[in-house]
Amino acid sequence: MIEVRELTKRFGRTVAVDGLTFHVKPGLVTGFLGPNGAGKSTTMRIILGLDRPASGEALVGGRRYDRLRHPMREVGALLDAGAVQGGRTPLGHLSWMARANRIGGDRVVSVIEQVGLAGVARKRIGGFSLGMRQRLGIAAALLGDPGVLLLDEPVNGLDPDGVRWIRELLRGLAAEGRTVLLSSHLMSEMELTADHLVIIGRGRLIADTPMRELTAVRDVFVRSSRAGDLAAALSAAGGTVTAENGGGLSVRGLDPAEIGDLAARHAIPLHEVTPRGASLEETYMRLTAELTGGGADR
Amino acid sequence: MIDALAAEWLKLRTLRSTSLVLGVVGVVVGLMALLAWYAAHLWDGLPPGQRDRLEVSSLPELTNWLASLCLAVLGVLAFSGEYGTGMIRTTFTVLPSRGRVLAAKAGVVAVAAFCAGLAAVLATYAVGRLIIGDRLIRGQSTEALSRQLPLFLAMSLSIAMFALLGLCLAAITRSAVAAVAVLMAVWYVVPIIVNNIPAPWNERIGSILPGALAGQLAGTGNPQSVGGALLSPPAALAVMVAWVAVPYAAAAVLLARRDA
Repeated sequence: MIEVRELTKRFGRTVAVDGLTFHVKPGLVTGFLGPNGAGKSTTMRIILGLDRPASGEALVGGRRYDRLRHPMREVGALLDAGAVQGGRTPLGHLSWMARANRIGGDRVVSVIEQVGLAGVARKRIGGFSLGMRQRLGIAAALLGDPGVLLLDEPVNGLDPDGVRWIRELLRGLAAEGRTVLLSSHLMSEMELTADHLVIIGRGRLIADTPMRELTAVRDVFVRSSRAGDLAAALSAAGGTVTAENGGGLSVRGLDPAEIGDLAARHAIPLHEVTPRGASLEETYMRLTAELTGGGADR
Repeated sequence: MIDALAAEWLKLRTLRSTSLVLGVVGVVVGLMALLAWYAAHLWDGLPPGQRDRLEVSSLPELTNWLASLCLAVLGVLAFSGEYGTGMIRTTFTVLPSRGRVLAAKAGVVAVAAFCAGLAAVLATYAVGRLIIGDRLIRGQSTEALSRQLPLFLAMSLSIAMFALLGLCLAAITRSAVAAVAVLMAVWYVVPIIVNNIPAPWNERIGSILPGALAGQLAGTGNPQSVGGALLSPPAALAVMVAWVAVPYAAAAVLLARRDA
């Protein structure tokens, strides 16, 4: 459980986070979205006690992060996979973290295996690709077997296998009852991974909603060789019918079964019946349009 | 705190720059051996009447002087390396108490610098005695190790002081370049300037410069140095502590206040 309450953070005269309040619940993957400069990373840094808020607070499991005795055992974080010293090996990098939080050395070996770095555990990090660094960062986040995970853009630089691996990993961790907060700019990936979304813009909350509400069925797309007759029949049955530019009809107010039955009753052939939901990308663009429409001001 | 110390010790050990700096300290000892050999060679070639005109700076003192800078750089890199890569945020996520991180880093850097410094000074003394043997070269002490040990321990303390100064400067400036620049000033530039200001201020200020403290702490003075020697051993120790405590306090306050 992560609680962010009335959080405000300024950098000079710029307000990065502006009275932000939201909760991240256990058992779900919560996606954290927003345009560049929306305050996502700042919020995550405040949750982790790295930045001091001007006002408000961020609590993890009811406590401030910097009050946790062994924070890695309660919160696993990946902020910036590049923030490692290249001279160390994965084994060395994870060992000092484990030592600092009284985590056993066997756990270091097991997370290295879990993220698929066993073959390079004794190689210097300096020669790693971004994808390998992401895996190392995820190993660090998992090291203390924490109940809360915070990951900032973890799929950056990963190959399709890696992206899929993270998705399944995070969904599995949430299914075990853990709290997972995940930021990403990849909408299609977020749509597959997250159960819940927190969208912010200019430091303020725009939406805090289950994924299925954002991507709910919007209309049904229908094609027929007798589109005119079908449109009349559907309208008579209470549907709202709009002809689309490329041919075909957009029908609202009737579900695919009702449309099919109606067409059969009137002996109208159907060539296509497709229920359409808004993609997360479309919804996100609509929600953040007024923020980004003003041009790049940051 | 034990956990933080153990973690910082692991970090210092696995940092590439640590072995690099210690390697340079080894090279310094090697250079001293070379210098001892050259001095012995010169001494042997001189007619007996002219041999007392040959003077060579005390080799352990030269090692002390150079090792001070090397280990101060080690102190700088123990902190600045983390700022350069963003690793500092990882460190503060793993160990959220910044005061504890600073204390743990200071602890491991001080111990490492003291031990490395002592090893370098003792090694220099040993190879110097071995090579020079019973030749009476001016500047080279022929006293037994037991008589010189207080000075060598004072030198090691002084080296640890330089290392801590470097660590704190890096924490304050968050930049290796800035921290090393300040160090170079304190280690080399300021003593030269101070040496050239009118008496009695050259000696007064020269006595409290960090490079002049080891000799004063051991009670041997600074016969071959530009530094003064007006302080009693306890006063020298107090000034040594101040050279660490003031930057340490500044670093602690800044670390606690600043966003990481």
